[in-house]
Amino acid sequence: MAECAIELEKCSYTYDGQVRALRNVSCTIEAGSWVALVGQNGSGKSTLAKLCNGLLRPQEGRVRINGADIRDRPVGSVAREVGYLFQNPDHQIFAPTVREEIAFGLRNLGFPGEEREQRLRSTLEAFDLTAYADRPPAVLGFGLRRQVTVASLFACGSPILILDEATQGLDWQRSQGLLDRLQERQDVGHTILFITHDMRLVAERANRVMVLHQGELLAEGPVRKILSRPHLLARASVSPPPVTHLSQLLRPWGMKGDSLTVEDFYLEYVALLAEREGV
Amino acid sequence: MGPGFDLYTAGTSWLHRLDPRTKMTFVGASFVLLLLTGQIILVLAYLVVVHAVLRRAGIPWRRIGWLWARMWPLTLLILILWPLSNPGGEPVLVQWWWIRITLPGIGQGLLAGLRVNGLAFAVYVLLLTTDQSGLVQGLVGIGLPFEWGLALAIGLRYLPLLLGMYGTITDAQRARGWTPEEEGLVRRARAYGPTLVALVIGALRLTDGLTLALAARGFRPGQPRTTRRPLQLRWADRVCLAGIGVLTLALVAAEWIYL
Repeated sequence: MAECAIELEKCSYTYDGQVRALRNVSCTIEAGSWVALVGQNGSGKSTLAKLCNGLLRPQEGRVRINGADIRDRPVGSVAREVGYLFQNPDHQIFAPTVREEIAFGLRNLGFPGEEREQRLRSTLEAFDLTAYADRPPAVLGFGLRRQVTVASLFACGSPILILDEATQGLDWQRSQGLLDRLQERQDVGHTILFITHDMRLVAERANRVMVLHQGELLAEGPVRKILSRPHLLARASVSPPPVTHLSQLLRPWGMKGDSLTVEDFYLEYVALLAEREGV
Repeated sequence: MGPGFDLYTAGTSWLHRLDPRTKMTFVGASFVLLLLTGQIILVLAYLVVVHAVLRRAGIPWRRIGWLWARMWPLTLLILILWPLSNPGGEPVLVQWWWIRITLPGIGQGLLAGLRVNGLAFAVYVLLLTTDQSGLVQGLVGIGLPFEWGLALAIGLRYLPLLLGMYGTITDAQRARGWTPEEEGLVRRARAYGPTLVALVIGALRLTDGLTLALAARGFRPGQPRTTRRPLQLRWADRVCLAGIGVLTLALVAAEWIYL
């Protein structure tokens, strides 16, 4: 059995004693998995994510990272294990240059000078930011600002990455570039918790899905199993990707109704046609 | 962030229904009184009355508590720094090296701390019970050009939003291992640079976006405007204005005669 990277045990959180954001949520996220966290606005996704890196402390229940309870650990210490990307890059960017912006987290986490420089160089190269290294990040376009914040997160090398709607506002190319880099991280064993409303992205990239609804964990499981349950998704105001929906509409004609991608659909449809025509 | 990004608490109480100009007059009179008086008991009494008025108008304790929580750090700073920087008078309570703390110094610090809260709550009475359009109309009603009124109203409304933004920015830096609490006082003050710079950048972007959004919805400075709900001083406003006037004059006279 794979190791558990994040474990939430009966966690509840209420803002200002009145807005109940999470109710008794228990879940585990295996190390090396890519988990998508979906649900309507206000369902508790960001609250759950912030519990995972200690920005919020559960009023009930406990959070374990790599098996250790983080209740008494400061956020700065949890940041070594859990990196968090905020939705809005402008909530993070402050440094006079891209180089210093990326180095900020490295310095905070205590990387020694030589390793810091090496990480900085390789991150700038990996994210095609070398040409912008000495420019102020605040004046770059949105796509590049997002790139700088992702680079800053990746440079720290935390084995668990939490991303809050990281592809929002990005064009397709940048979005795919970001997802490919996350894929590379997953391939070397890092864990990814990805908050998103983009169900196509969920279908194409994630291994598992967690569906939150009004602060409760409505469902959790493999992507194919969850996305092929339209009634459950509708309850959480989430709709499956169009190709999955089409596949479900074609159930009476023999489709299984759980295609996640166009390629999936094509292969199943062609196989179905071939079977019918006896090819 | 506490109770939402806007201080305004929707309601239909007598205080909500008062003309914004009446409430602005109250704010002005409160400023005069609070800055004029040197009596701690009077400032305390003012705060008690203001709290009673807010509760009577249906403002929940939770929201009042949230405002106190925002004011508390500044109040504490005043309570600490005032006696240190005003060492005059007798009796001396502490005399050590260059530090000299006296009873009058502590009293003055207490007065200044309460006064600042009094001034803040005078403005809160207006902001908690007046919606955005009422606020703009009120400011225009007391003689400000519409554009100024709108700018001031937006500025006041955006203060809580900036507080919320500051919280998020702090979280974003903490998530990258930023731990100012582990530093000494001077280093900690310097460590807040990242959050303040990010806040300024965020505020500038917010302003930029807001300007474009206003322009996109047809806002053009200098154009004549109509109002859907014209301001009107009703009998309740006249009673309140008279009460504010009499009370202000009485207290100013009392201060002048007895002190």
